[in-house]
Amino acid sequence: MSARILDPAGPLAEGAVQLAPAAPALVDGRIGVLDNAKPNARLLLETAAAGLAERIGGEVVRVTDKGAAGFNAATACEPQVLEGLSKEVRIVLTGSAD
Amino acid sequence: MGENAHVEELAREPTHDLENESPEALYAFLEERQWGDGLPVVAPTGDRVEEMLAGGDPGADPDEVLAVLPPRGGAATRRTVAVNAVMAGCPPEVFPVVVTAVRALGQQRLNLRGVNATTHPVAPLVIVHGEVVAEMGFNAEVGAFGPGNRANATVGRAVRLVLLHVAGARPGPGDAATQGQPSKYAYCTAENAAASPWGPYHHDLGVDAPSAVTVHCGENPHNFHDMESDDVERILAKAASAMTTFGVNNACISSGEWFVGLCPEHAATAAAAGWSRDDVAEHLFATARRPAREFRAQFDLLAWAPWMRDAADDDLLPMTEEAGNIRVFVTGGAGRHSCVIPSWGMTRSVTLALEA
Repeated sequence: MSARILDPAGPLAEGAVQLAPAAPALVDGRIGVLDNAKPNARLLLETAAAGLAERIGGEVVRVTDKGAAGFNAATACEPQVLEGLSKEVRIVLTGSAD
Repeated sequence: MGENAHVEELAREPTHDLENESPEALYAFLEERQWGDGLPVVAPTGDRVEEMLAGGDPGADPDEVLAVLPPRGGAATRRTVAVNAVMAGCPPEVFPVVVTAVRALGQQRLNLRGVNATTHPVAPLVIVHGEVVAEMGFNAEVGAFGPGNRANATVGRAVRLVLLHVAGARPGPGDAATQGQPSKYAYCTAENAAASPWGPYHHDLGVDAPSAVTVHCGENPHNFHDMESDDVERILAKAASAMTTFGVNNACISSGEWFVGLCPEHAATAAAAGWSRDDVAEHLFATARRPAREFRAQFDLLAWAPWMRDAADDDLLPMTEEAGNIRVFVTGGAGRHSCVIPSWGMTRSVTLALEA
């Protein structure tokens, strides 16, 4: 016998977003680094950002941590840090893991 | 279209038509969407979901959003939570416990985004307190953390299914736990207030309600046993021994809590010596310690309270920054095994009154 069942995931909440699709080309070379407070994240991300800048003819224009509330890898970035990054750079490297 | 977007598209239909509700058909349905916990589920048909909703507040709006759950950003409505409770096998009468637990998951201080994102094997533990323990048939006695009881098993599983489906906490993209842990299937127990020498846990927190639910995001229970002591300090020395390991996040994150699940016999020994719940916590705070130099030798990064960072190398430091972070409750039956449950660290437990 056929059955109609309800969806267990439900809708996304208002304001929830999915990951943006990958950019087809790195047309704007303004690069930022957002240190997520994992050990050695800054070293890894700055090195990768410098390599990327050289490869695409871009520039690393901002390196930042997550602000006071983001002192730990498990805590969120201050909104004003994200807002600043969104205005100043086109590409952000972040999120070194364990 | 990426894999996650494909799965999200499949999930957007409010209902799905299956050829039948056999375990095989449901397995295929879940597999296509990368859902489920790997175990058979009950088909969440409209009638069953309505029955589940009727087990909760009859005047509530089924579309009320109880919480927004990261990382997916899913809206945990009453209806969606009821769908998952049906799938888990919950009897409708326990639905208010699931609802209250989901509300707790949405509290900012619990930090569910971090709980799901971390490589640490953390799982939300649901602890049920008060009158509903007996009324709804939760097991707070022998095997309180184990199998064999429908209320414990299905409430714990329902919370996990909500995390998998609504929060998107699928191992890999939504749950980064390196190894996971068995409690990620179902993690629910109940306070054995009838055998506790102290008042109900939630009353001590100021939650003035007949029943309540606590959610603590932590590891599996770490057992400690003492079969022979009538001396509470000798018993708690074993608890302190279990706590003072460098393998837990509490060693390097001082804001983390510890839940201490005392069996009734250990709790009775403490009470016979005139000890309160707070006395147990204070004693563990004072004795579960190691020299600061040992912590410093083990960790490059220590998320410690300032007073701990300033300690001399020979100072004995506790496994959490204040005694109030050690939370004691009574659970289990006959026998002399208790447990400590370390925290993930960057999370705080939440205790809420059970919704009417």
